Amino acid sequence: MAEASGDRRAERWAAVSFAVATVAAVALAVVYWRGGQPQAEGVFLAVVTGGLGAGIVLWARLATPQDHVTEERHLLGSTGEGMEALASDFEAGGAAFGRRRILVGLLASAGAAFGAALVFPIRSLGPRPGKGFKRTAYAGGGKRLVTADGAPVRIDSLPLDGVVTVWPEGHTRDADAPTLLIRTRPTQRFRPRRGRETWTIDGVVAYSKLCTHTGCPVGLYQAEAGLLLCPCHQSTFDVLDGARPVFGPAARALPQLPLGRNEHGELIALDDFSSPVGAEFWDRDR
Amino acid sequence: MSRAPAARRLVGWLDQRLGAAGFARTALNKVFPDHWSFMIGELALYCFTVLVLTGVYLTFFFHASPTEVVYQGSYGPLRGLPMSEAYRSAIELSFDVRAGLVMRQIHHWAALLFAASIVVHLARVFFTGAFRRPREINWIIGVTLMILSMVNGFAGYSLLDDQLSGTGLRIGYSVVLSVPVVGTWMASLLFGGEFPGSDILSRLFVIHILVLPALIVVLLSAHLAIVVRHKHTQFPGPGRLDTNVVGERLWPSYAAKAVGLFFLTTAVLCLLGGLFQINPIWLFGPFNPAQVSAASQPDWYMGWLDGALRIMPGWEIRAFGFVIPNPFFPGALLGGLTFGLLYTWPFLEAWATGDRAEHHLCERPRTRPLRTALGVATLSFYTVCLLGGAADVIATTLGLSVNAVLESFRAAIFVVPLACGWMTYRLCVELSARDGLPVIAPRRVRPGGGSGPRTRRATWRRSRRRAEPTPGRG
Amino acid sequence: MTGRRVFVALVLAGVAVTATFRPRPAPAAEDQVAAGRRLFLLGCSSCHGEGGDGVRTPDGAVRGPSLRQSGEAGAYYALSTGRMPLSNSEKQPLRKRPAYDAGDQAALVAYVASLGDGPRLPHLETGHTALAEAGELFRANCAPCHSATGTGGALSYGRAAPPLDESTPLQVAAALRAGPGQMPVFGPGVLTDEQVAGIADYVEYLRDPDDRGGLPIGRTGPVPEGAVAWFVGIGAFLVAVAWIGSRSPARPVDHG
Repeated sequence: MAEASGDRRAERWAAVSFAVATVAAVALAVVYWRGGQPQAEGVFLAVVTGGLGAGIVLWARLATPQDHVTEERHLLGSTGEGMEALASDFEAGGAAFGRRRILVGLLASAGAAFGAALVFPIRSLGPRPGKGFKRTAYAGGGKRLVTADGAPVRIDSLPLDGVVTVWPEGHTRDADAPTLLIRTRPTQRFRPRRGRETWTIDGVVAYSKLCTHTGCPVGLYQAEAGLLLCPCHQSTFDVLDGARPVFGPAARALPQLPLGRNEHGELIALDDFSSPVGAEFWDRDR
Repeated sequence: MSRAPAARRLVGWLDQRLGAAGFARTALNKVFPDHWSFMIGELALYCFTVLVLTGVYLTFFFHASPTEVVYQGSYGPLRGLPMSEAYRSAIELSFDVRAGLVMRQIHHWAALLFAASIVVHLARVFFTGAFRRPREINWIIGVTLMILSMVNGFAGYSLLDDQLSGTGLRIGYSVVLSVPVVGTWMASLLFGGEFPGSDILSRLFVIHILVLPALIVVLLSAHLAIVVRHKHTQFPGPGRLDTNVVGERLWPSYAAKAVGLFFLTTAVLCLLGGLFQINPIWLFGPFNPAQVSAASQPDWYMGWLDGALRIMPGWEIRAFGFVIPNPFFPGALLGGLTFGLLYTWPFLEAWATGDRAEHHLCERPRTRPLRTALGVATLSFYTVCLLGGAADVIATTLGLSVNAVLESFRAAIFVVPLACGWMTYRLCVELSARDGLPVIAPRRVRPGGGSGPRTRRATWRRSRRRAEPTPGRG
Repeated sequence: MTGRRVFVALVLAGVAVTATFRPRPAPAAEDQVAAGRRLFLLGCSSCHGEGGDGVRTPDGAVRGPSLRQSGEAGAYYALSTGRMPLSNSEKQPLRKRPAYDAGDQAALVAYVASLGDGPRLPHLETGHTALAEAGELFRANCAPCHSATGTGGALSYGRAAPPLDESTPLQVAAALRAGPGQMPVFGPGVLTDEQVAGIADYVEYLRDPDDRGGLPIGRTGPVPEGAVAWFVGIGAFLVAVAWIGSRSPARPVDHG
């Protein structure tokens, strides 16, 4: 039978696709040999695979019968006799075991004990969640505040509207200890929390840098508004009001660090943060 | 005597040892319906194949070690900086290994598209009612595959220990921490202590390259085997009944098209991997737990969770000195409810409609207005969450206040699903009426045809008996 | 007759000499401050007050803040980025074409600097700090607001940290020292002049960073990547699937 012109066209296109794919493969090898280039590699890979794919699909369409074939479905559920036969075979085999009840009981308890024993390797995966969740390296008081390169901080090095991240001395790699030192302006009316009137020095206040929502560093200090904004979920804290959350999903204020000065005028922490840092957990308040 | 061609001799040799010729013949002649929407699941399969192929290549270069090293490679703006070996090996792969960057990018794009294809496939199966008996098991396997793909993607991009993914890991840690009673234990066991610890990278590595891919392969094989066992569903039409399947044979038509689609899928992934930059970790810098960047989002398939975390107002539950922290609700609870609902949907629908018969015909969405409306409402709910996750980028791009954006999303999370659901319902009813199609109203339907009020007990007793497969309802 | 010619020649010579005469560059400091004061009174005093002490509206809102502590850095930043003069003090000032030329800007800067002891412009020697160190400083101090790629970010209540793709090194240095708007102040005790120069270098790098992965699609991370995945990727997938799954014309064939 004479081929339809549509078939010839499809065949020609399939041939072109395969030819283009071949050329692209050679080009890919050349690109690789010459040192590689990501865009060229990606495009030539795409042309090789695309040419193969297009060619195969075109070939499939013209070469394969387009007629639709019907296949009967079999009933999925088995017949009543089949289910009965299965049940009786299983019961017959299982009866050999079922009769000795004591063994069945002991096997069950041994299995349960084995299952419980397997839990212990899981216990080795990590330490018991301990005091570390509620304490940082500031605990005990007296630690100097240092910047990331270990230098102590003096009050006068921080300008008005200035912010710097500090850690307890010797613990600049601790993930729970980053602290924000913020110098508020005298014109911004700072309202210390009750009992924390002595925690700030010359308008310099220290808060934990870890958001109480999911622990992201609260890196955005909006100096004019006196707000700390967390970029992860937009929790916003009022620096002038004990870092109380004023917008967003955080429910607790940022823990505050009581500040003091040592004999050299360097900033120190008088004690640990006012509450556990970072994201909250079940027994955080206990 | 002339020798038979080589191929036939090979097949004969195999058959003498495996006896599989009969099985092979049945397999070759299996019929598959050829509607385009039935090929969406294959897209996911091919994305997974590309993921495995590129992934194996990447494992030859990537070292999931937290050991601190100093970078001395060819990318100037990082030279001399301390970083983890994991990050360093990823940077080296991107800059100093020929074809390394394109492989990494194809791998990452394939992960995004794997999850997206699964979602589109799930939507197709849902809206055509192809999850009904006998396909509930496959639905459960499919939802599990979706969860595994999302978790594996998260684990994968967190391996690189860059600033963006490290931020995401900390958020994940905090959501685990927020689980009442056991949260601190779970987080401590998962991370080997407090965040970040020194174990998480190597644990994620094993999870990402071995545990989850193995689970996916096993479940995927079961998924496909069950499809073959059940035979694929088909849309009603001339000659198409509940008791047959009309389409093309596996060999040569379906096999050729499947292979062709595999290559075309790979072509799209290679094009994306070469032309569109993704996850430029050299600009984000190595992970530092005291640093963060604006515009920090997870990959899109986790974006709905991140958005829910942002949209949620600052509420928490406090009682007797204990607290259920805020992230528990939009994080753990919403996730649990989402997947719980997905898993149980076939059973919920069967209970609600009383329809426990076997079905092999797809339904057009417009003939099931309530199901379609609920599905659209649910999709729109998660879309609002997803957009919420991009709230700060939306605000910056459109020049809006991010506070206003989030507050409007708090309203939208209720209004949009209700509006979309209602509009979809009306649209379905209208379209069905116009097409003259029978609308299957959400009333109890007696298996075997006919409808009318029946008591629940009566329906249960009846469905205990093996139900005859009903002819298609047209 | 000769006298008239000599007179004309002298006049012409005088004109020629005057025409080639250029105004003396860099006038004395007091002249610059005075010139700046004249410009200030003309263009700035309506919002910032005649002495630069700021102006409040009758209901107590600030129309223009005091400039006593702005210093050289604050004034240079505001004027060279075109943020000042500002027509609407309600909205956040945005970068636009500067209203004053370089000479006038210098005069205004000198005048505002003379009003108090605000931050000076640091002495910038760019190209000395290793880009790696500068990048670390940028990611530690600037990325939370401006993003790690310098594309900007959202702040509270409609404010935004602007993108940095048009910032010159001196503008970066001025902003760091002056802390304009919502930006905090990074004084010499927090960042040395060398560190400021390094950050300016890194911002310069971010204007054209290494995008070897291909189209940068905004350098904003997973949001545009997800959009591309869905619209380009799934779009292409569905096109492929629609092409393959479509029915081709039926051919007469034996039933198998």
